[in-house]
Amino acid sequence: MSESSVTKPAPVRRKLSAGPLSRGDKWFFRTTSIAANFAFVLVAFILIFLFLQAAPALSSQGLPFITGSIWDSSADPIIMQIGPMIWGSVLIGAVGVVIATPLSISLAYLIVYMLPNRLASLATNLVDLLAALPSVIIGLWGLFVFSPVAAEWGATLNTYLGWFPLFNVSSADNGFGGSPFIAGWIVAIMIVPIITSITREVFSQLDRDLINGALALGGSRLSTLRRVILPTSSGAIVGGILLGLGRALGETVAIFYVLQLTFEINWGQILEPKGGAVASMILAKFGEATAAEVSGLMASGLVLFVITLIINFVASVIVNRAQPWRKN
Amino acid sequence: MSFEPRPTVQPWARVNKSRRAEIIFAALVPLAIAIALIAFGFDRNLTLVGVFLPIQVVSASVVGYRAFGRRGVGDAALIVFVFFLASFVLVLLASVVTSLVTQGSKALSWSFVTQNNIYVSNTTSLDYGGVGHAIVGTLMIVGLTTLVTVPLGIAMAIYLTQSQSKIKNLVRTLTQAISGLPSVVAGLFVFSMVLTFSWEKSGIMGSMALLPLMLPTVARVAEEALRLVPVDLRYAALALGAPNYRAFFQVILPAAKSGIITAILLGVARIIGETAPLLLTVPINNGTSWNIFSGSIMTLPAYIYGYLSSLFSTSQNRAWGGALVLMIIVAVLFTTTRILSRPKSMKSKPTKQKASK
Repeated sequence: MSESSVTKPAPVRRKLSAGPLSRGDKWFFRTTSIAANFAFVLVAFILIFLFLQAAPALSSQGLPFITGSIWDSSADPIIMQIGPMIWGSVLIGAVGVVIATPLSISLAYLIVYMLPNRLASLATNLVDLLAALPSVIIGLWGLFVFSPVAAEWGATLNTYLGWFPLFNVSSADNGFGGSPFIAGWIVAIMIVPIITSITREVFSQLDRDLINGALALGGSRLSTLRRVILPTSSGAIVGGILLGLGRALGETVAIFYVLQLTFEINWGQILEPKGGAVASMILAKFGEATAAEVSGLMASGLVLFVITLIINFVASVIVNRAQPWRKN
Repeated sequence: MSFEPRPTVQPWARVNKSRRAEIIFAALVPLAIAIALIAFGFDRNLTLVGVFLPIQVVSASVVGYRAFGRRGVGDAALIVFVFFLASFVLVLLASVVTSLVTQGSKALSWSFVTQNNIYVSNTTSLDYGGVGHAIVGTLMIVGLTTLVTVPLGIAMAIYLTQSQSKIKNLVRTLTQAISGLPSVVAGLFVFSMVLTFSWEKSGIMGSMALLPLMLPTVARVAEEALRLVPVDLRYAALALGAPNYRAFFQVILPAAKSGIITAILLGVARIIGETAPLLLTVPINNGTSWNIFSGSIMTLPAYIYGYLSSLFSTSQNRAWGGALVLMIIVAVLFTTTRILSRPKSMKSKPTKQKASK
């Protein structure tokens, strides 16, 4: 008995696999996976076509394209450098995020932990409505209604906190319109719904036992928020902020109307009517652009796309990791 | 020592009567001070932030201290700040909506919605000319995008919920990353294709530029909708011998119908106001055009954009009117999604606390 078992080799472990059984299923799954891979194709196409058209400008301008701060279409050879625009986008995005984060966390806290159900769903709907507002409408409102008010805020800030470098201006005679401060507010209004919805979701999915435990130990609302709620949900909140930052960098039309575009780097005087934004610059220059300038604009778009894609990708990874209940 | 009946203590009642009066008092005093100061001509913003907010925090803290001791102080400050910041957002939203309605209603009339913009100059009275041509163009361009994007997005959602693929998470992450695609880049992308293949700018190019903006929204919301369908339904269908595609079309899709419609409507709402891609890829037109495959065609966002920076007040009114029309379309779409996604039975109250883990 033992000899026979030695001579016979143990059977190879079979791999169990269940493929689609019918032809219809095969096509069904093939179609869906083609559709899913379209996401990769789309990103690749955007990169390829933008690069094709941007190549002349990139090769003629070189590295100063993103570091320099001159745009002279009448010079020969043409000079195109978008340093101030990139920095301006970052500055506006930072101002927007700094304004939007406390607003969003307050809203999410209010909705999840303080309001009764009916009011909470009303507030959720209002925030979603804010997200549905087209940016051209925000731009219209920003130009005619909000800018004068925000300029007034800027003047007040400058009067009382002008000693602080951030709120300093070279001369109050220039007025306070068209500043990165105002553009930052506009951007903040557009990213509040993004950060709020992610924060709200993670707040509402928090383990209630954690919170009840903290309350049972004698914690107050404040200490529960600081020691329990915020630390456990910080990952998702950071992801939401990054998603908002990505949106802020790409915001085009709304900023176009409220910002004074200047090809001169404004390092941090956010009340100065002098700023930049890559996306708005593309829109502003597109109408009367020569062929060489169009190539420069394509290169600007490529730079913007790469920056926002990286930020959004990192943000999505963080958000997905912080929301394990979304995976199936 | 006589026996006294104990007062009925309700430990769960946070607020008793005298406390309630205290709270109302604490809420009204800072408001009264602020209104008085503004009435006397102090700076509005400074009063709000520099006087009203600190007094409100102090008065709330006093109430909190009397009710809960030291831990009430921090709570009171937290509640005041949360309410202040959250209501600030709502004030901004209200400001957008009210200014749209008040300014836009000046231009809005039946002729404004139906007429086109031929023979309209900056000084033409608001009785003539309108956004009819822009509505037609927007509906056609957005409609074409929707026709292409919806099957694609739903197929993506099926892949994300039903396949066993290993790169599923990567696809999901990438889709979410694309949802942050700057709209001007989408426009530039299509314009670069126009340049590369020497095509012609037209309505269909605008549709192409809107596709990458709509796709992630449709895919993500449809994925959520499909995920809400209990997986047992699918298994039951498969166990009865249905192939996967019939299980999807006859069981899952009908069950997720309202969620899918929500996905479509949210996608449309996302792109209907997109301006930059259309400015870059669609030539504008003052007349009505029914042809999106060649020639110029007008869209609502482009109409608003064109009149926005004008110095003439009638032209600005036209911009507001166009914006109001756009907002009404968005609001209708939005309200429909809310009605569709409302929980079916109102008897089982939706609890905020879902089962964790």
